[in-house]
Amino acid sequence: MNTAPAPHVAARVVDAVKVYGGGDTEVRALDGVTVDFPAGRFTAIMGPSGSGKSTLMHCAAGLDTLTSGTAAIGGTELNSLDDRRLTLLRRDRVGFVFQAFNLLPTLTVAENITLPLDLGGVRADAEWIDALVDTVGLRDRLHHRPAELSGGQQQRVAVARAFAGRPDVVFADEPTGNLDSRSGAEVLGLLAHAVRQTHRTVVMVTHDPVAAAHADEVVFLADGRLVDRMREPTADRVLDRMKALDTKALDTKALDGAGERRGQGVLS
Amino acid sequence: MSSAAATARISLSSLRAHKRRFAGTFSAVLLGVAFLTGTLVMGDTLRASFDSLFAGAAGGTDAVVRSADTITTPGQSQGARGPVDSDLATRVAQVPGVAAAVANIQGAGQLVGADGEPIGGQGPPTLAGNWIDDTRLNPYRLAEGRAPQRGGEVVVNRGAAATGGLKLGDSTVLRTPEPVRVTIVGLATFGGENGMAQTTFTGMTRADAEKYLTPKPGEAASVLVRAGPGTSQQELVDALGPVLPEGVEAITGEASAAENTDMISGQFLDLFTTFLLVFSGIALLVATFSIHNTFAIVVAQRTRENALLRALGAARRQVVGAALAEAAVVAVVASAAGLLGGIGIAAGLQALFPALGFPFPAGELVIGAVSLGLPLLVGVAVCLGSALLPAVRAGRTAPLAALRETAVDRSGTARGRAATGVALALVAVGVTLVGVLVTPSIWLAGTGAVLALVAFVVLGPAASTGALRLAAPLDRLRGITGSLARRNALRSPKRTAATAAALMIGVAVVALFTVFGASLKATMDQTVDRSFAGDVAISAPAFGAGGSGLSPALAGRVAELPEVASAVGLGRGVAEVDGAGRQLTITDPVALAKGLDLGAVSGSLDTLGDDGLALSRAEADRRGLAPGERAELAFTDGTEDTFTVRAVYEQSELAGDYVLTREAWAPHRGQDSDTLIAVTLDDGVPVADGKAAVDKAAAAYGSPEVQTRAEYAQASAGGIDMMLTLVYALLALAVLIALLGIANTLTLAVHERTRELGLLRAVGQTRAQLRAMVRWESVLVAAFGTAGGLVLGAFLGWVLVQASQGSGDTDFAFAVPPVQLAVVALVGLAAGALAGWRPARRAARLDVLHAIATE
Repeated sequence: MNTAPAPHVAARVVDAVKVYGGGDTEVRALDGVTVDFPAGRFTAIMGPSGSGKSTLMHCAAGLDTLTSGTAAIGGTELNSLDDRRLTLLRRDRVGFVFQAFNLLPTLTVAENITLPLDLGGVRADAEWIDALVDTVGLRDRLHHRPAELSGGQQQRVAVARAFAGRPDVVFADEPTGNLDSRSGAEVLGLLAHAVRQTHRTVVMVTHDPVAAAHADEVVFLADGRLVDRMREPTADRVLDRMKALDTKALDTKALDGAGERRGQGVLS
Repeated sequence: MSSAAATARISLSSLRAHKRRFAGTFSAVLLGVAFLTGTLVMGDTLRASFDSLFAGAAGGTDAVVRSADTITTPGQSQGARGPVDSDLATRVAQVPGVAAAVANIQGAGQLVGADGEPIGGQGPPTLAGNWIDDTRLNPYRLAEGRAPQRGGEVVVNRGAAATGGLKLGDSTVLRTPEPVRVTIVGLATFGGENGMAQTTFTGMTRADAEKYLTPKPGEAASVLVRAGPGTSQQELVDALGPVLPEGVEAITGEASAAENTDMISGQFLDLFTTFLLVFSGIALLVATFSIHNTFAIVVAQRTRENALLRALGAARRQVVGAALAEAAVVAVVASAAGLLGGIGIAAGLQALFPALGFPFPAGELVIGAVSLGLPLLVGVAVCLGSALLPAVRAGRTAPLAALRETAVDRSGTARGRAATGVALALVAVGVTLVGVLVTPSIWLAGTGAVLALVAFVVLGPAASTGALRLAAPLDRLRGITGSLARRNALRSPKRTAATAAALMIGVAVVALFTVFGASLKATMDQTVDRSFAGDVAISAPAFGAGGSGLSPALAGRVAELPEVASAVGLGRGVAEVDGAGRQLTITDPVALAKGLDLGAVSGSLDTLGDDGLALSRAEADRRGLAPGERAELAFTDGTEDTFTVRAVYEQSELAGDYVLTREAWAPHRGQDSDTLIAVTLDDGVPVADGKAAVDKAAAAYGSPEVQTRAEYAQASAGGIDMMLTLVYALLALAVLIALLGIANTLTLAVHERTRELGLLRAVGQTRAQLRAMVRWESVLVAAFGTAGGLVLGAFLGWVLVQASQGSGDTDFAFAVPPVQLAVVALVGLAAGALAGWRPARRAARLDVLHAIATE
């Protein structure tokens, strides 16, 4: 089966299964998930705690390996790559924004932004970086250390860093989880801006319906399975859908059936 | 539950949880204590072995009759003793209670092995004497063959024969230093061993011994006496008293054996043990820094934990107590392990040394209370002492610290520290300069040296910040990896400095000895350059007590060669001047002026005769003597003579302070030998040809070392290099402990930075880059320590050279050997890379996701 995505797909997982532990303590974090993340789009991954949303992101981004199934980024299958090549792929073609601790305390803001490029020994595209710095509004902070920045400012640096190398896809793991709502909105606005103005691709894991509403599309996970996709999300619709998932979680069987039916409809 | 029990439980559970963090501390204490224990046990064991060896060998001798006059010259632990009349043996034998009395003739005799090379000679004595037939008075026992009966027959100890590849019936040469043709007719043992350690012994007939080992027949070193039944050693000595002439004494056999042990102790064991103790002290000092650093880091990392304890109601004392209890457990366990390790080291060396040809008599290990108690005490004290400050700091943790991020270390920029450090450094340099240049005092110089060390340690954090800023080119060289490594090292200047300080001390001592060794060589160079006027030198080994010197006939023989203009031999003698022992140079003063450059001479060396002497300027000034004045010299034979000062010369480096003619010395001489022959070639004779001719003439005298001027200048280099090698080997332990400290600090740092490393890996740092980053950090810390050590060591080397200069007449040269110091620097850097190897590997093995998720 050819899992290499078509050019308009930035990242994809097919039949993704991830099992932790074994025997009595076995946990199936991903249980056969197939999903595309289209290029030039902002996709949010949602689901209750333990639904496998973070695992999905980690596996799709090459931070973790699948137990079975395949993951690919921009036409490159990840399964066949050794640790070194996976690292180089992350460095050159993937950007990351984590919930916290995104920056190296010893480096200045400017150095943190170009870190992946510096690690690759690549000369940064000055114009692009300049534009990024202006977009995230940190021009007057370039030579400060992370400890001298507020939490929101730190996350904005992380966003700039994620886009510095013009990666195929940027993965954001709860990027607003540690921020107040205003700072959070700023960061989400930056992500959305990058997608809409400069045609980058963003995949974001979140449990916050308000955050998810900034995305073009939301995929819903529950118990390691893809249960739904929603285009043009609003916070209210996402919240409703999540409530439904929580309710249905009481009856796993019903949830599974519904999830598959709806999932197929969207995926076509 | 009592509060003490709670404290104990907290320490123990914390120890269990952080076993790894204490691995470095544990190793440092263990190694230091093991070294110390090993040294003490080995010293005691050696002493006990020699004790039993001498007691056993001399068991049959109940009294020793010998000259009461000894003269000890400075730097010599054993005095020169005059001879006794060998007829005394006959008189002593008549005394009631005496069963037997024999004359014991003793001298130096170096055997030549089957390969033509002398046996031994660089260390332990090479002895010859008359073979004593009374088996109970002879410490040697015939193991094979028979006693010598005719001239030229000898018994040698089995060890010497084995070393030289000689068998019963073989014929060889014995240098006394006159070459004597001898045939081995017997092999002997000493106290059940193949010899007295590595000492060689040749037993001759009494006639041969009198002929070759004493200047006059009828002289003996001593008379050995055996008591009849029912007479105790003390009764025997008391009975002998009345028959002994003036200047002759009798001591018991036991006292004599004890003296022999003391002599070995004084000459070898004490020096050896002190030497090793100094180096275990250095190792423990280095360990102190490493241990302190580990505890400081662990306490810093545990700020939140301690704050929580305080918030939950733990008293300050309890937190301090818990930290100290933890240190105490590590200290006791590691010290105990170190004790076992030390005993193991001693046992291992006991097995290893004989295989390497060093003396280490077999026997049970002697493990005294001091050998166990002292290292245990030192180990615990070092460990607890190092943990004290960090523990107090732990107690000061505010309950609210649990909510704050760990404070940033600002010690590197603290003005007060920099000012204190600079002030200390200035005081140190000032005190040292005063102690060296103004009023020479070893104490002032030493105090200055210690202050300099303290100043370096205080200045460390400030200096490390500056030094690492200087390393900025690394960023360009190694890109982001180098930059990250450098900034990581800059993160906690105090920690970096403390880690580097341990290595700094090790490197400083290495550099100190390297500089001092090079200075000694340069001094010898300078001495030869200034004072040696000849073209070729023939010399006897100057190192150790062995060898028999050069035949006094050799200088005359060489002088007759057609290529040679003049040759002068220098012999040694001793005398007492105003109650103080002095070394004499016995030579032909007229020829001496040709072979050596004596500088300006007032008076004349031509007319010393048998009642005149020449003095060095320094000695003449000390004694207030001028040409024409008189000096009293007392000799080992108990006589006193008045000499007229006929000449005073400037340069005493090779000639010594007193020059006497052979005629003047003849009545007082013992076994004759020269230590140096200075040969001047005829004009136009190439040095190589002249040397070859001298070599040929010397071949008949046991092929002593014939060297050109330049070779002679370098002759001392071998001994110095050997010494340096030993010192380097001993310092390796201190450096190893310092490197363990670097590795340990890095491991703790890696642990601290887990999330950061995870982030770096996530955004694309390869494992190779991460490893390189950690290794470079290690190299930077090591480079800082090494650089500091080199500077400090060179300074201390200079102090030592100046102090040595102040304590003697010799002009000391100060030399900084660039190549050796560059090698030390490179080794320091390489060792840094090595120390970073394991932490780097561990860091690279981190799982990215796990690392990111770590709190």
